[in-house]
Amino acid sequence: MTLSRTHILALLTLYAILLGLRILVEVVGPLGPITGQLLTLLAFYIALGQAFNIFLGMTGYVDFGYVAFMALGMYGMASGVVRAYEAGLTGYYGIVFGLIQTITLTSLLALMVGGIALRLRGAYFAIATISVNEGLRYLVEGLDIWEGSRGLIVSGPLIRLFGSEGFSLLATIISDIMVFSVALLALVISIVFLNTRIGYALKAIREDEDAARVMGVNTTMYKVLAFTTSGILGGLLGAAWSFKVASIYPPDAFNILYTIEAIILVMLGGAGTLAGPIVSGTLYGSLKYFLAGILPGFQLLVFAPILVAVIVVAPEGIVGALRVYIPATRRFIA
Amino acid sequence: MLEVLNVTKRFGGLVALKNVSLKIERGERVAIVGPNGSGKTTLFNVINGIYKPDEGRVLFEGVDITDLPAYRRAHLGIARAFQIPRPFPNITVRESVAVGALFGSYYGRIGVREALEIADEKLKLVNLYDKRFELTGRLTVPELKLLELARALASKPKLLLLDEIVAGMPPAMVDHLMLLVRRVADEEGIAIATLVEHVMRAVVRFADRVIVLHLGSKILEGSPEEVLRNPLMEEIYLGRRWSP
Repeated sequence: MTLSRTHILALLTLYAILLGLRILVEVVGPLGPITGQLLTLLAFYIALGQAFNIFLGMTGYVDFGYVAFMALGMYGMASGVVRAYEAGLTGYYGIVFGLIQTITLTSLLALMVGGIALRLRGAYFAIATISVNEGLRYLVEGLDIWEGSRGLIVSGPLIRLFGSEGFSLLATIISDIMVFSVALLALVISIVFLNTRIGYALKAIREDEDAARVMGVNTTMYKVLAFTTSGILGGLLGAAWSFKVASIYPPDAFNILYTIEAIILVMLGGAGTLAGPIVSGTLYGSLKYFLAGILPGFQLLVFAPILVAVIVVAPEGIVGALRVYIPATRRFIA
Repeated sequence: MLEVLNVTKRFGGLVALKNVSLKIERGERVAIVGPNGSGKTTLFNVINGIYKPDEGRVLFEGVDITDLPAYRRAHLGIARAFQIPRPFPNITVRESVAVGALFGSYYGRIGVREALEIADEKLKLVNLYDKRFELTGRLTVPELKLLELARALASKPKLLLLDEIVAGMPPAMVDHLMLLVRRVADEEGIAIATLVEHVMRAVVRFADRVIVLHLGSKILEGSPEEVLRNPLMEEIYLGRRWSP
């Protein structure tokens, strides 16, 4: 479908509003219940959903090792900064170097895993990718890469590179803006994909891979393309997030919980839809944030029935259900 | 245009195709007839690249395509409509057909906008235009068959491989569909190979030439009248006549 201009503009406006709110809150302080922390959480979940949607949503393949990309991004950025510090360079070199490392590491991982595991389908692909994630984690610990299980300390070098004031800006508003940028980048890439033959190829693969192949879709190429794009975006998200953590430990960085959250976000919003991640990211992020205040420790217990209800009532996700039940929306909502 | 040369395909100990050769000329309509298990579907799968033959070659417009993957053959202009429709249930009818246009012989030369225009045009042709914003999964089986045809035609094929798409359809609809295919094929110079298992009446009306497969071998070839009159046909389908 060629996406309607209004639809795209509406989404971009929503992003701008969220980003504007975040900056406003930074300047004037929290607006009622809307705090910087809440907006950070929303940005993270929207970005996570939007980035993962490019792979899971459009191809239907479940990558259970998605967090590995985020972990490599965190490590890539953090080790870049640490290295710059140790070499006596300025912090900006560190960030550039960190970005280069993030993109290199995540695209290498995506091409290696994608080239092999994307030959598998369904549950087999999911299992293979879980093992890649766990394997990477033990590789980092066992070979003592990036300080292994002792943890890579980021905050120290960051404070010395940027000063304590610079560091606190970097850890809050600046890294939030980076997270928003990742979300926006993922949105723009999704728009481009959906508006070109790439999106048609990916959806055809999701619906019936063999039929797609007979109809002329180079299935392997498009799957690897989506996997790599989505992986690099996940890495960039991890890189942006790395400024917020004091140190990085393999069990946290490779925690499968993030993969599961990413899957929830995509399914809740509507797999392959453009507006899905912003809807589900906002919903999931706010629920998680407010439940932590109301029922601390019980958030997941409340989540489970809500998710089950959504899956039973609208397996196509929230935006997906609109498309199914209100035919008129199919013309303009993607 | 299409040449299949001495193709043999085995599955373990089973020989599904035995040294089969055939030719299809531009714009020609060929029916490939045979009972269940005669190797018809295997032959189609060898022609469009789902299977690679164990022996023999496949040429398309003089080029050896034996080693080309299925998707590259679609770009060259070989399209297929499956007997059991293979729809894309969660996308709209219009988008489904546009996939055919984007990745068929127009591949790399048209964008999404043109593909959607082609989709609309083909949907009008098969009378599904009113349902173009419907999700594909909501169509009825006869509609899915029409969609399958629209999707194949949207790819602007030079050779259209039609599985027995008329199987299980009411006779009036069979005639309508076959006439439609015939008209479009004539207008656009598309060669058609169609698989026939049972609906012989359609064959006679439709095909220029009939090829009969039995147990993986080509045993007869000729005009529909010739082939249908041949006593071998009765033997293949009904068994040898008992004589004391």
